[in-house]
Amino acid sequence: MRTAVMECRVLSIQSHVVRGYVGNKSATFPLQVLGFEVDSINSVQFSNHTGYAHWKGQVLTAEELNVLYEGIKLNKVNHYDYILTGYSRDTSFLETVVDIIKELKKANPSLVYVCDPVMGDLGAMYVPENLLPIYKNKVVPLAEILTPNQFEAELLTGRKISTEDDAIKVMDLLHEMGPDTVVLTSTDLPSKRGDQFLVALGSQKIRKPDGTSSSQKICLDIPKVDAVFVGTGDLFAAMLLAWTHHHPNDLKTACEKTVSVMHHVIKRTITYANGVAGPGNKPSPAQLELRMVQSKADIENPAIVLEAKVLQKSLDQKR
Amino acid sequence: MECRVLSIQSHVVRGYVGNKSASFPLQVLGFEVDSINSVQFSNHTGYSHWKGQVLTADELHVLYEGIKLNNVHHYDYVLTGYTRDTSFLEMVVDIVQELKRANPNLVYVCDPVLGDHGSMYVPQNLYPVYKNKVVPVADIITPNQFEAELLTGKNISTEKDAVEVMDLLHAMGPDTVVITSSDLPPRLGDRFLVSLGSQRHVRPDGSRTTERVRIEVPKVDAVFVGTGDLFAAMLLAWTHHYPNDLKTACEKTFSVMHHVIRRTISYAHELAGPGRRPSPPQLELRMVQSKADIEDPAIVTEATLIS
Repeated sequence: MRTAVMECRVLSIQSHVVRGYVGNKSATFPLQVLGFEVDSINSVQFSNHTGYAHWKGQVLTAEELNVLYEGIKLNKVNHYDYILTGYSRDTSFLETVVDIIKELKKANPSLVYVCDPVMGDLGAMYVPENLLPIYKNKVVPLAEILTPNQFEAELLTGRKISTEDDAIKVMDLLHEMGPDTVVLTSTDLPSKRGDQFLVALGSQKIRKPDGTSSSQKICLDIPKVDAVFVGTGDLFAAMLLAWTHHHPNDLKTACEKTVSVMHHVIKRTITYANGVAGPGNKPSPAQLELRMVQSKADIENPAIVLEAKVLQKSLDQKR
Repeated sequence: MECRVLSIQSHVVRGYVGNKSASFPLQVLGFEVDSINSVQFSNHTGYSHWKGQVLTADELHVLYEGIKLNNVHHYDYVLTGYTRDTSFLEMVVDIVQELKRANPNLVYVCDPVLGDHGSMYVPQNLYPVYKNKVVPVADIITPNQFEAELLTGKNISTEKDAVEVMDLLHAMGPDTVVITSSDLPPRLGDRFLVSLGSQRHVRPDGSRTTERVRIEVPKVDAVFVGTGDLFAAMLLAWTHHYPNDLKTACEKTFSVMHHVIRRTISYAHELAGPGRRPSPPQLELRMVQSKADIEDPAIVTEATLIS
């Protein structure tokens, strides 16, 4: 008996690094391993990520991005099921991405745009400030799935998060801006499991045929890791794409799988990095590169290592 | 397995040629693949349209400098393929030579892409660069018959000619040579084509020996793009696992090709519909769908040892 082969095509517009796993390097292999066709536009080509002592390379201009898209369009192969974007530093590039997404949505109205609105963390922006209005007014309204951290969620909604209730309100505000699925990838809310854990939350709006909508809100306690990783956010967004694809109305399961994959990759990476660095030495950025190819089995079939808690099912009588 | 490959090849947004063709299969087999994209095009140049940008020799150098400055320019393999630019190719040679100084055991797998079926499809001035600079630093090369004849100046009409040409190529540098396709008459009939391989070994006692193989590969009635890039990548992988057994390395490599191509052609015909010739987009290799075959190829071709 032949099982049906999944036909699902993703357009991922992210950075390329020669060495290591960020941007497209972080997203592509795991998605391919899960059977997705990944078309990738490299927004930059750098030797490595910018956390190393040195980095060198070239950036793609908005014009060059448009040229590449033109090539795809001329061949009439501009049909995608998903778009995935992440870290960007250039407003005109981001605006061209928006134009491309709008066109791709005209070509396929069912297209799902997964957007990591990368702007900063821990209270500070690490992209140019003029990207915020573009994300807020043009990008987020087009997104179906959004993966902000706490800082980015606060920035986009203009609302601070001090309690779980705040987080719920912020996710609802983000739903109103566009995306039906929002995951707050990390917050500094206190975890009931203690200070070795961080709290992540998710909210998925489910529209019923009768016009009403409800939302499933979940919360996860994620074990903290004592290291700075780069590329994990990109892997997260890619895996959330994959697992919401397989569990489109079950954010709880999609998040459990996504966070579990992250856990396995990070554990393997930190073990390896500590091994290479040697006892008492802090691993370097090069040593902390994600152990991506070594984690293939976990990516394909992640053992679930945590359970998401369903917070509430709220009924909004919105039409 | 800790094995790091530096692959310097094209990138296409859509489809499987160059780095897109080589990276996934190598990663699936557990290799760490660092990739420098020599170009970024929307798709390969066999489509009706193609658009994109090329990397200059200077920009290639800048990327390599970044790797070097971080002291991470340590590779077990370098892999290169289709290039159109002599200064780019010469920069690649400089990089390979430096990487070999950093790791004397580095293996350079080179597909000397020059042309096919009797004519060159790259600028003619690449030929002396391949002949005098690139091939001498290569450890494994995968020319087709035309490229093998061009590089050695000798024509192949018989298996004996092929053996002599491979010996001439060994003398130029590489210890492993695979002539990926030839128009020698197959023993299994005209639905097959003949490929040949030759590998030089040094015995523990210092004496040299050469293992030569002949592989008959089922022909396919379609034009594929990216198969040569997949071949070189998989030959890298299987010679890594079978460093002294070219026969097995070739059987695995040609078998993977066969599975991927068969899956691709079935799918392409399904998409095109009965009686229609599939288009280039429809003929893109079914790479991600072939993961299991890439990981563990069932052997479907047979290599025979020849003298």
